[in-house]
Amino acid sequence: MSQTQSSLRMISLIAMRNIMSNKVKSSIVASIMVFGTMLLVVGTALLDSVESSMQKVVTSSLTGQLQVYSSQGKDELALFGGLTASLPEIGEIEDFSRIKSSLEEVPNVQAVVPMGLTVSTGSSGNDIDEVLRQLRDAASNNDAQTVASLSGQVREIAGSLLEEYADKEKISNDLNRLDKERAALEEVQKDAFWQDFTQNSQERLLFLDTKIAPLANNGRRFFMRILGTDPQAFKQHFDRFEVVKGEMIPPGQRGVLISKRTHERFLKHRVARELDRIKREIELEGRSLEDDELLQARARRLSRQYRRVTFQLDPSEVAQLEPKLRDILGSEASAKDSIKELIQKFLHVDHSNFDARYDFFYAQVAPMIELYRVNVGDVVPLQSFTRRGYVKAVNVKIWGTFQFKGIEDSDLAGVVNISDLLTFRELYGKMTRAQRAELEALRDSIGVEDISRDSAEDDLFGGSDEIAIVEQDSQESFDEFQDVEVMAREDRIKQVENLTYSQQELEQGLALNAAVILEDPDDIQRTRALINQKIQQDDLKLKVVDWKEAAGLVGQLIVVIQIVLYVAIFIIFLVALVIINNSMVMATTERMAEVGTMRAIGAQRGFILVLFMLETLVLGLGAGFTGALLGVGIIEILGVWGIPAANEIVRFIFAGPRLYPHVSLSNVLIAAGVIFVVSLLSTLYPALIATRIQPVVAMRGRD
Amino acid sequence: MRDSGSEDLIVKMSQVIKEYPLGKLKVQALRGIDLNISRGEFTTIAGPSGSGKTTVLNLIGCVDVPSSGDVQIAGQSTTNLSDKELTHLRLMKIGFIFQSFNLVPVLDVFQNVELPLLLQGELGASERAVRVKEIIARVGLSDQLRQRPNELSGGQRQRVAIARALVTNPALVLADEPTANLDSVTGNTIIELMKELNATQKTTFIFSTHDPKVMRQASRVIRLVDGEIVLDNDGIEGVVEATDGRGEVGS
Repeated sequence: MSQTQSSLRMISLIAMRNIMSNKVKSSIVASIMVFGTMLLVVGTALLDSVESSMQKVVTSSLTGQLQVYSSQGKDELALFGGLTASLPEIGEIEDFSRIKSSLEEVPNVQAVVPMGLTVSTGSSGNDIDEVLRQLRDAASNNDAQTVASLSGQVREIAGSLLEEYADKEKISNDLNRLDKERAALEEVQKDAFWQDFTQNSQERLLFLDTKIAPLANNGRRFFMRILGTDPQAFKQHFDRFEVVKGEMIPPGQRGVLISKRTHERFLKHRVARELDRIKREIELEGRSLEDDELLQARARRLSRQYRRVTFQLDPSEVAQLEPKLRDILGSEASAKDSIKELIQKFLHVDHSNFDARYDFFYAQVAPMIELYRVNVGDVVPLQSFTRRGYVKAVNVKIWGTFQFKGIEDSDLAGVVNISDLLTFRELYGKMTRAQRAELEALRDSIGVEDISRDSAEDDLFGGSDEIAIVEQDSQESFDEFQDVEVMAREDRIKQVENLTYSQQELEQGLALNAAVILEDPDDIQRTRALINQKIQQDDLKLKVVDWKEAAGLVGQLIVVIQIVLYVAIFIIFLVALVIINNSMVMATTERMAEVGTMRAIGAQRGFILVLFMLETLVLGLGAGFTGALLGVGIIEILGVWGIPAANEIVRFIFAGPRLYPHVSLSNVLIAAGVIFVVSLLSTLYPALIATRIQPVVAMRGRD
Repeated sequence: MRDSGSEDLIVKMSQVIKEYPLGKLKVQALRGIDLNISRGEFTTIAGPSGSGKTTVLNLIGCVDVPSSGDVQIAGQSTTNLSDKELTHLRLMKIGFIFQSFNLVPVLDVFQNVELPLLLQGELGASERAVRVKEIIARVGLSDQLRQRPNELSGGQRQRVAIARALVTNPALVLADEPTANLDSVTGNTIIELMKELNATQKTTFIFSTHDPKVMRQASRVIRLVDGEIVLDNDGIEGVVEATDGRGEVGS
């Protein structure tokens, strides 16, 4: 054994024995270090797990590993939503095919998928149109009985519209118009309006068509975020994407796939949607109708929505449903209850009857009502305000609904609907450079804050929890359908199906951004640098961001969590550092004679330094090892049990209802490194003090 | 005999002055000391408290440096040595025995004695073990090899300290009041042990004491008063009587 080894062994021996002889001090210091290391291992492992689960979700649903967009854009890309509900202005890629061919030459780039996000409003047929059609038939057949029953439905609709007017008065500045509209609705409620209806049917139907139907119509519009892309390439490269209902947009065909989330939450019948929501909160968030007051309030509000069911029921359906309702309601129903009261009582759900009524609703009621406002196979007119400021309307076919596997439940993932790039271009309204410059100059000169109309409501009245689609109640004085050709449904479908395009048309044209799919998905930063080089070289005027940046706020979330964690760990280790430092300084003064003796009999300063440092280092490594072991144990246990996601955002981040974290060697190595540095730093000062102890102190008596 | 050839001089102090700051004042602890000590001497430095005897030991032990003048240890001047060089000099040439023993509390007897050898780093483990055991046997503690200092009596501890001081075969052993913390019987045996080692090993011993009985054991007594040598005597006779007198230096 060499001398150095022997000396080191002696030093370690002294260090170990000193640790053991100061048990209280050592155990305090050790427990802080154990805790710190454990937290570090658990924290970094959780963070890595979250980051990798989020990376999987984000990259394989919308962003790809990297995104490119114009370097001229004013705002930053935020595919999963940014700070505001309005779309960021990220500039334009004028010719996608040029980007594609150029970037696909970069090593590790597997594919480049074009994208473009815009917001549009959709509209669907409304309740009253169908009722009025039946009413018209009945009137022409002089069928007074049917007219009487349908009049009930019309009065229901008018009644429910009237209820909204109290709220509308608070936000509208056109009270005059509101008064007129309310008068019309009240008119329909009166018995006089329906007396001798068949005799005056033309006049009365005209009144209903022109004064009442438009009012109902306004409640039937919805916002949609449309992500235009190359649907086939999208399907190929985003493997979380899957079609739920209907079919994939066929190659060369135009159309839209609605996210299942949008379909279920915003396009579904209000009552069904509320029932779904209560069920989801019971099942996913572990709440109960028995004691959760918020949920009970939600259930109470549900029974007030009975009209939304009743006015969709025609007399034959009422006849069919009534006995079944009496059956399930049992003693709750009284003999003189009409269908209105029955539905109202039926919707009064509580802890004991919720499951039965939920099932009954879907089995018996749902087939009689319009469960979704937009159905697979429909062709609906979508309108948008183009960048040039005019309204553009396009008929699109709804091919189906889709979801992203693993994050089906997440609001964030459901914010976009997918269309082909050509439909997107029409909705977006491609602007030439000159036009844009003109518009921007104009905007600058008048200093108007750019609030898109879609977000104006949110901006003015505060956010709504319905992110993607907001039922629009605003009443424009101009006719928004001026650009929409009114066509029969069959004609619309035929026209849409005739609109095909070639791959070349798809690629040679406008996109706003593009996802870059990598062959090795972990080699992100190096490829990013290569792409940047290529952008310079080919003068593509692009910037490239990674998935975290491209995702928008959610991507930043992980950075925020990271900062919080590191700050917490920093504070813990700072405390550890101060405590260790203090106790070592005290130990140094207690051991003056010992150190002085060692110095006197020939120990160099370095020996004393190593002696003191080693003491904390041994303690630190022991504590670090224990802490790391505990941390790994905790993560392993959590990896088996899984961490439940508390809410939708967390479900998104966790890429599912539970996160199963895993720990990697790097987590442990980082913790070991930190504990090593902290040990050294905390002892450096006391150890330096110790080396300054003069050997002469050994000569002084200890009395 | 004290003026014998310089190669035999283990300590040579010339015109050594040591000042300590006391507030804004400077206190002279030593006021120009000349002292030669030869190899193999068994010398005691005596004097009342504050006379400067510890200062003299510190300077000889190279744990302190003079304000002016020169101290040579085994022919080497310490005046211009760095801390590192002084430490090395101590390690190689000087053994220390302290008033309060100053053993490393967490090490056992064997390890305490082994420590200077480890610091020297010249011997292998087996040679070290032989040497350590041998010297421990010399001080009569072979049965306490694995005991810690707090398991030993004061006399035993001082024996360990003596063994530690001698294990490196130093040219010079310094002992600062080695018997002060011991009862007189134990103190006597310790001095006798030191004397015996001086006789058999030819190790030079210099120790301070104010115990007349201990002083009597010394072959040479140097008496300090107020930072000056007032008596330097080979014989023990008259020393005790002369404690209050002011004899001629070196004569």
